Amino acid sequence: MKHSIAILILLAAGLVHAADLQPISEAGYQRLLASAKGKVLVVNFWATWCAPCRKEMPELVALAAKYRAKGMQFAAIAIDEESDAATVAEFVAKTKIPQPAYIKRFQDDQKFISMVDPRWSGGLPFTVVYDRTGRKVHVFPGEVNIRELEQVIQKLL
Amino acid sequence: MTTLAAFAAALALLGAPGKVDVIKATDLQGKPVEIRTAGKITAVIFISTQCPISNDYNERMKALYNEFHGKGVQFVFLNANSTESSAEVAEHARKHAFPFTVYKDVNNVEADRFSAEFTPHVFVIGKNSEVIYRGAIDDSRPADRVTKTYLKDVLNAALEGKPLPVTETKAFGCTIKRVKKST
Repeated sequence: MKHSIAILILLAAGLVHAADLQPISEAGYQRLLASAKGKVLVVNFWATWCAPCRKEMPELVALAAKYRAKGMQFAAIAIDEESDAATVAEFVAKTKIPQPAYIKRFQDDQKFISMVDPRWSGGLPFTVVYDRTGRKVHVFPGEVNIRELEQVIQKLL
Repeated sequence: MTTLAAFAAALALLGAPGKVDVIKATDLQGKPVEIRTAGKITAVIFISTQCPISNDYNERMKALYNEFHGKGVQFVFLNANSTESSAEVAEHARKHAFPFTVYKDVNNVEADRFSAEFTPHVFVIGKNSEVIYRGAIDDSRPADRVTKTYLKDVLNAALEGKPLPVTETKAFGCTIKRVKKST
């Protein structure tokens, strides 16, 4: 609570640049997949309350920057509640997560989890890689092995 | 092997635990314990000291324990996180005045057997020692927005011998921090 208030004060004072957060629904996720066809899409599900998610994010952001020009698109989807949007926005800005950065607005978490991958139980972090045709080709449950992810991307690009 | 294939293979290997006659864990003094399930309804709940989601359920877990323990449901709270020591688990239990015992699942042996992935992840074992439910406690992290009380409903149905309203659910949670095992 104190943390959120502090962030709001900093945001109001312009000391922290809030990132734009785009709410994403089940339909929005399908639109994201459709719009990314022709690129290699890496989707990372994370949350501000998830320590390993926060830990791995800078490496994912660096990887996204390294391969963006070669056709990789990175989408980070925060699984935080709407009430934590300020904390999410602060982390997005601080970590320089590429825009648009998303925050969940799913109608049904269970259905969404199953839609992304039927074998996923909902543990975070969770990273999915889609090839240029939009086919899901790799998933990384838990913390991603960044070297393995980079090899996957290199093969797909 | 692709990561996707490896994931599938790992899950297939782990799969459903089949019959769970005995749950093996370690108490917070380091002593091995064996908890038998035959003839009882057992709720196994993987929890964490640090995961905010798991901690949001502390009061609800206490309420469930208080409601169902007296009705004959056996609860087994396991901490399988390699990053959370027995001392930390004991302090956490004391701080939150848990009325139940928490055990360590050293080397995440039971987490692997159950294919437990996150905290809090629940498995209900029927009187015949088969897993009859796996998933979430309810459908909302904020307690004031719960609309479906999965675990409570499953336990009530199991106690009354009625068909279960649900056998599997999913929810967002913190991944269990497993030890790294050589393959």
